[in-house]
Amino acid sequence: MAASWPENPRLITTRITRLDGMAKASGKAKYPSDMRPEGTLFGVMLYSSLPHATVKSIDTSAAEKMPGVKAVVVIVKEGATLRYQGDDIAAVAAETEEQARDAVRAIKIVYEALPHAVTEAQAMAADAPVVVKGGNVKKGRASTTLEKGTETIDAAFAKAESVIEGTYSVPVITHVCLETHGLTAMWDGPDKIVAWASTQAVQGTANELAGRFQIPVSNVTVLTDVMGGGFGSKFGADIWGLTAAELSKKAGKPVKMFLDRIQEHLAGGNRPSATGKIKLGAKKDGTLVALAAETFGTGGVSRGAQFPLPYVYSIPNTTREHADVFVNGGNARAMRAPGHPEGCIIMEAAMDDLADKLGVDPLEMRIKNLAPKDFRTEIYLEEIAIGAELIGWKAKRKPRGKNGNGPIKTGYGMALHQWGGAGARDKQVTCTINPDGSVELRSATQDIGTGARTVLAIIAAEVLGLQPTDITSNIGNSTFVPGQASGGSTTTPSMAPPALNAVTQAMEAMFAKIAPAVGGAAADLSLKDGKLLVKGEAKMSWKDACRKLGMTSITETGKFTDGLSAGGVAGVQFVEVTVDIETGKVRLKKIVAVQDSGLIINRMAWDSQVSGGVIGGLNYGLFEERVMDPTTGQMLNADMELYKIAGASDMPEIIVHALDTPAMRARGVIGIGEPPTIGTAAAIGNAVTNAIGVRVTQWPMSPKNVLDALASASNQGKA
Amino acid sequence: MAEQELKDPKGGASRRDFLRGGGFAAATAVLTGPATLALDEAKAAEAAALAEPEVKILSGQIPISLKVNGKVMSCTVEPRSTLLDTLRHQLDVTGPKRVCDRASCGACTTIIDGEAVYSCTSLAIACQGKTIETLESFDTGPAGVPHAFHQHDGLMCGYCTPGFVTACKSMLDKNPNPTLAEVKAGLDGNICRCGTYMGVFQAALAAAKALKA
Repeated sequence: MAASWPENPRLITTRITRLDGMAKASGKAKYPSDMRPEGTLFGVMLYSSLPHATVKSIDTSAAEKMPGVKAVVVIVKEGATLRYQGDDIAAVAAETEEQARDAVRAIKIVYEALPHAVTEAQAMAADAPVVVKGGNVKKGRASTTLEKGTETIDAAFAKAESVIEGTYSVPVITHVCLETHGLTAMWDGPDKIVAWASTQAVQGTANELAGRFQIPVSNVTVLTDVMGGGFGSKFGADIWGLTAAELSKKAGKPVKMFLDRIQEHLAGGNRPSATGKIKLGAKKDGTLVALAAETFGTGGVSRGAQFPLPYVYSIPNTTREHADVFVNGGNARAMRAPGHPEGCIIMEAAMDDLADKLGVDPLEMRIKNLAPKDFRTEIYLEEIAIGAELIGWKAKRKPRGKNGNGPIKTGYGMALHQWGGAGARDKQVTCTINPDGSVELRSATQDIGTGARTVLAIIAAEVLGLQPTDITSNIGNSTFVPGQASGGSTTTPSMAPPALNAVTQAMEAMFAKIAPAVGGAAADLSLKDGKLLVKGEAKMSWKDACRKLGMTSITETGKFTDGLSAGGVAGVQFVEVTVDIETGKVRLKKIVAVQDSGLIINRMAWDSQVSGGVIGGLNYGLFEERVMDPTTGQMLNADMELYKIAGASDMPEIIVHALDTPAMRARGVIGIGEPPTIGTAAAIGNAVTNAIGVRVTQWPMSPKNVLDALASASNQGKA
Repeated sequence: MAEQELKDPKGGASRRDFLRGGGFAAATAVLTGPATLALDEAKAAEAAALAEPEVKILSGQIPISLKVNGKVMSCTVEPRSTLLDTLRHQLDVTGPKRVCDRASCGACTTIIDGEAVYSCTSLAIACQGKTIETLESFDTGPAGVPHAFHQHDGLMCGYCTPGFVTACKSMLDKNPNPTLAEVKAGLDGNICRCGTYMGVFQAALAAAKALKA
């Protein structure tokens, strides 16, 4: 019989502290960047200081003779083109990191500088230098949807009673993982590698290492007990990881290689920029009629700047043309809800601008345009009602620009978002019950800070009548049964079903084995509060019951079964801000996040994920921007001082409201990493605009962008 | 400028003291004040240091011992080696983390002679004879700061957590009854990327309560 979630769970849905929380809070948890096996050498990367250049020659002879240097690896060939500042060139391993840095500086490179384009404007200019062959702008085919009887998009707009046009932009931001990308690699003989990697995918990383060195993947062990943040940017070994293993092989010693903060910004991944030139039309009552969108964005030297649009709302006539713009910048990587925050910003800004023009409440206009046949519509309606109440939308919000005559304006904004996040069907978990009463779960997934380790233990404890702390949740090892990579909010919905099945199967196998010894049939046995029950009567402790297993442990492997997890969530956020129109300074007062995600396994970690997602979104809305200098092609803020991320004093009141209803619980487990970070920046932009009466078209809502918007409106006589 | 104003927000070694130990080249990397003022000051400090006969000019590999978490630990460093790298790379004291490496984020915070200091911009040689405490030495029982962070989920990936826990301990040592606003101000030298601030605030307030109980 397939297992199912308990109707009245004892642990699931409650607040449970993390299994590894104390190890992390006491500094005792060992991260990949903390590992230093006997004899470890320090690896340092040499990366391009120029945004675009040809390598004429590389001379490592001086570096190789420097004190402490044990190995040098050249990554690019002479004649190769370096395509962005931060592109990999070579690496050194030395006894100390200081020595390795000196040696990297001693590598002599002759560059031939090539003309660069580091901003979209540079890359799109008529006389732009060639970033990639075939043109810097890759335009996709326009996609158009028209309702029956409407021949062209222009005909659709002719039916609209009000139309707005606007251009909205959001810049490139970087992941800023606190633990930089990297790994510590150790060869064990000629054909075995152990690597402690800061990764979101232990098995993907193992496969890459095995492929690079042509050894069986079973000879590679990638270990990630804990890791310091990935946000979508750490799915592989990467060039620096493979190089660390190569240096290690050459030197015959372990090599620890983690990027410095500068290269982390330049090459460790980024969320592409997005610009949307939008035309949106509606009937007088706010019913949307047509959307025309020309969009572009840059993912550096790679594609990846596509994003969903239209977003959330049902629009009968749409046309969209999107272009990827290539610049001399590091490759884009997936970043928490890839594409969605950009699409949300552009859609929700246009929605508010149109509502303002029509003189309708933007909340009502949103409700009016929810997709009639989408299962999310009911959820949105419930969430909007709750969120509006919590922020005081009806009582406090005033129409745009009607926020008093003083310099400090209060404003309110909102945004809707959505995400998929269903689980993968091919992952497994093993559950071992030992005669000493210990229980261990294993799978080659990893905990990137989401609480994945604790989720597995909660499930096992729930089934076995134990406490989560009684369970060993052994993950972060690539040699275990296949586990899910930590991305796209798919980890928990992928791993919870096989975990439940593994534990249930192990319990049933144990019952079958010990039933004769405890005086009952297997069907008579159950577990509760650390005890074995026979026909509902407590017979013995869990440990004593396990002793009846004799000398042999029980191990069962659980697989995915349908009905335990699902995908597809809604979500709404409301924001209250004040804006000083003399300085352009935005202060967040309050953010309300109302979020569904099916059956919540651990409410404590769930709350942290949601408020953490909101905080990621407020960084996007208020602070973050990769600043490129067009003249030198350098990133001007590759640090954590001028690259702005919110600190404690920037925190507003954040209200997290879980839509945790019987109907939601019945859906099964759904992931929560991405959804809560999507809508925040859009809602902040709308709140700022509501406060000051002028659309700020450029994110983030920095003093400069706010003042620019005010000045531009003033020049046009609007404010 | 008064000496007091030269101190970094964590109340660590003054800029002038730092320059004496660190030398001009190392110091310029960490100065955050107006550039010209800083350069003039640095040149003056270097000249003053050279004029003082008791100042040693150090170079090459230097054996040092550091008092870390109550133990005397010995190793060999270069004059430019930071306290953070020395703790992590030589002494296996890996609680403090290297994140920004430029005194912006607080992940490396350690307590030196009772003051919270960014160890990524403190030189190991300048820390000899001082009492260095990292969070590995903190009370992990119910009255300790780590317990409060665990109980209130003031962490996710956990990489900023050592810095927050240390800054929190240091703040509570000075102000055992902080308001929420004081907690925020006290932890403003630290940055979290996962966005754990809500749990961190609760943890700090709970830790204050627990310390008094």
